[in-house]
Amino acid sequence: MADEAVKQFTTLLDNSILGRLERMRIASRRRLTNRAHGEHLSGKGGTSIEFSDFRDYVAGDDLRFVDWNIFSRLNRPYVKQYRYEEQMCIVIIIDASASMAFDGKFQRACQLAGAFALMGLFSLEPVSIYACGPSGSEPALCPPCTGRVNRGRVFTFLEGLKASGDSSIESAVEAVLRRHRGRGMAIVLSDFLTFGALGRPFNLLFSAGLEVCAIQILSPAEIDPELTGDLRFVDSETDQMLDISNVGELLSVYHDRRRELERELDEHCRRRRGRFLTTRSDDPIEWLLFDRLRRQGWVR
Amino acid sequence: MNWLGFFSLGSAWLALLLVPLVLVYFLKLRRPRQSVSSLALWYQVINDQRVNSPFQRFKRNLLLLLQVLVLVCLVLAAMQPFLPRASVRAQYQPILIDCSASMGALDAPGGERRLDAAKKQVLTIVDNLLPDQRVSLVAFGSTARRLTDFTDNKTILKDALAKLDVVPVPSHTVDALRMTQALAHTVPIERVLMVTDGNVPADADFELPFDLVYQQIPPGGTNLGITAFNARRSAADQWEVFVGVEGSETASQASGKLELFRDGVSVGTEPVLLVPGHTKRVVFRLESPAASSLEARLTPDGFDSLDSDNSAYLQLPKSRPLSVFVPSEMTSFRRAIRVQKGIELVDEAAARSGTVFDVVVSNRPEDVKLEGSAALFVGFVPKDLAKLVSIGKGSIDVVDWERSSPLLAHVVLSEVTGVEQPKVAEGVRDGDFEKLGYTVLASGRTGPLLLERRIGARVEYYLLFDVDRSTLPFRVGFPILAANLLEIGRLQAGLAEVRGSRTGVLPPLQLKPKTTYRVAGPQGSAVDVVTSESGVLNGVSALAIGQYRVTEGGAEAAHVGVSLLDSMETSLVAVKQLRFKEDQEVAATNDRIDADRPLWPTFALAGLGVLLVEWWYFQRRPGGWPST
Repeated sequence: MADEAVKQFTTLLDNSILGRLERMRIASRRRLTNRAHGEHLSGKGGTSIEFSDFRDYVAGDDLRFVDWNIFSRLNRPYVKQYRYEEQMCIVIIIDASASMAFDGKFQRACQLAGAFALMGLFSLEPVSIYACGPSGSEPALCPPCTGRVNRGRVFTFLEGLKASGDSSIESAVEAVLRRHRGRGMAIVLSDFLTFGALGRPFNLLFSAGLEVCAIQILSPAEIDPELTGDLRFVDSETDQMLDISNVGELLSVYHDRRRELERELDEHCRRRRGRFLTTRSDDPIEWLLFDRLRRQGWVR
Repeated sequence: MNWLGFFSLGSAWLALLLVPLVLVYFLKLRRPRQSVSSLALWYQVINDQRVNSPFQRFKRNLLLLLQVLVLVCLVLAAMQPFLPRASVRAQYQPILIDCSASMGALDAPGGERRLDAAKKQVLTIVDNLLPDQRVSLVAFGSTARRLTDFTDNKTILKDALAKLDVVPVPSHTVDALRMTQALAHTVPIERVLMVTDGNVPADADFELPFDLVYQQIPPGGTNLGITAFNARRSAADQWEVFVGVEGSETASQASGKLELFRDGVSVGTEPVLLVPGHTKRVVFRLESPAASSLEARLTPDGFDSLDSDNSAYLQLPKSRPLSVFVPSEMTSFRRAIRVQKGIELVDEAAARSGTVFDVVVSNRPEDVKLEGSAALFVGFVPKDLAKLVSIGKGSIDVVDWERSSPLLAHVVLSEVTGVEQPKVAEGVRDGDFEKLGYTVLASGRTGPLLLERRIGARVEYYLLFDVDRSTLPFRVGFPILAANLLEIGRLQAGLAEVRGSRTGVLPPLQLKPKTTYRVAGPQGSAVDVVTSESGVLNGVSALAIGQYRVTEGGAEAAHVGVSLLDSMETSLVAVKQLRFKEDQEVAATNDRIDADRPLWPTFALAGLGVLLVEWWYFQRRPGGWPST
């Protein structure tokens, strides 16, 4: 047992999970890629082994791409088109505010970030990770890196993160986009329990050419709170207090508001052709990565 | 509009307790701290709840609200509010409850007695008594008795009501009203409530010093009962027994069966068919030389609301000649009496041996000591009247005489004259004779000629002039006078006619003087009574229908049966209006008794209810109830 513990590559994910993740890829819904050559097929034509379509030959076309078999049957030249494989930036934004420190939410965010980063690294995509903590300060950054050789760097960065501060999603996204360049996919890992409008950060990401993928991580106490009587709530981020009498009577309203928040986040993502997912911090990580995300088309 | 009154308005100061309650609530309210990841959702919840529920501000402090409600309820209860129903709220309220025989009538087959209906109404008043109100319960039948003093103790009042039962006697209101008048000397009484079925005498010889509320319970249903039971000797050993049967106002074509028992053995049965408004008179003819006990039982066909008037009792005496003592020198009287039938005429020899006579006629003052139920003394003034009247010489001049007296029935004294003239002393009036127990039956120009005195069951007559020295023996009225005296003697001895005794008090019985007798009633009650010096046993209460046995040392001395025998009670007629002196009239009301309704129990219960709701609300399962 001691030997096995020593052999663990990271404290976030088990080696067996890492092994399975290495064979998985992120399935993007939109083809938001960079000009640089990569593993992701772009919507534009180009040179690759992936056939795309036929079109009529026009003067000036490269004769190497004329399909001579069709020409022999139809006596008309057609040109074969191939999809172009381009590079897709993967931006992982972790909400590292104090609210994520409850009931393993931040741990789960780091696990998911590591999983997505590992899949990106093995797809030879540039993966960058931002952890947004205290407002007004620059987010912690794991600069874009590619390839399996950067696995250790990524997990070391993740293992060193701590949840603190009161950064909002909006300010966190603004801070990230000030430093990030490149199209691709943005994976936002947060509880989204924040004040202010949620539409703007998603707009910013979408405008920057990033496919918005949001995962809301909630603790069991947030999904199904067991509270009663008169309580004084204290905000973990701002230390604000709120007196509520007879909390038990308001729980049904709380559930309504929480479900409304989920619907709102899902609506924001779908409008931008993105994805949204809510998960509990105590869900088994294997089930989440290899079952739920796969069934919902997040990974393949 | 005075729609709510408060008995203890000063308790409103207790409402100031709201101030410390609110202060203590907010000072003592310490909420547990609950750290949450973010307040974002909770702020939305609070805002959403405030929008959806206008009372959310109150719900936030629901505990305070419930505590305030409890306190308000308790303060209101302490203020003792009441709903004024009665126009006048009497502090001292006497309630006269009729418990006479008619109150035992049922309203329908299997229904409730009138007394029970009256009790319910009185219970309403007792339950709604206000703290400053006192009630005294007075029950009345033939007499009145006070059940409770003025009290607000509901237990005492309810116990007294529970013990109250129907007494099979006729009802008389005057005693109860006089008792209430006496109570009015000790406490201020403005209004008196009388609860009855209306079967009371319409006229009362009483001047009302207070307001009388004549609360009438609906009368009972169809009734048939015996209202008269008597017997008259028709021959030496023969009796004619008369039974009167009457029905209630509502009894139309009532019928039944009347059966006569002698010493427990049926001796006759007659069907009874009653026409409304008429009395059925049934006659039985019996031959009864020995003393016997008669019982008449009426069995009505169909529903009969009152049972107590369905039986009656009568004692037939042993048949014997009337024993009459007349001294030998009173030849005129002996001659007039001798011709009568059924007479045993005796002289001084029998008198000296201590024999008890039925009738004594004598002109000797020492014969006053002779025992007899009727006596006529002639020619001397009784000792106790010696200072009032004296006999002098002069012509008798009869001025007037009492024609309704049984002794003077069909007797004309106007032309009687004589040589002795009674004279009253200076300044003596008829009232002076009455004070000594005498009644003047015939008056002369200078004084009374004939006096009557009753001593227990004995009746004495005094002719204050010498008959043999007057023209009376030569008048037609003399033998009639003698016959009347013998008839009185027969009646006194119970040899000519007997009447059924009524409930209330046992009829006077002539027994041994100064002797203790035990009187055992029909319901197992027994009382020891000592007879008077003259041997009369009287004043024994007989409130139950049935046979009363008078025994001395275990040996039966007399035997009397009493029954209701009251046509008023049997008729169950309800008087609509009571008339009093000074043309005062009180109309009956059938409305429910108005009583102020106290509300403090309601508020106290409301406070308890709020307290229970508060406990339930804060002790129910965590998470609250589902919203859908």
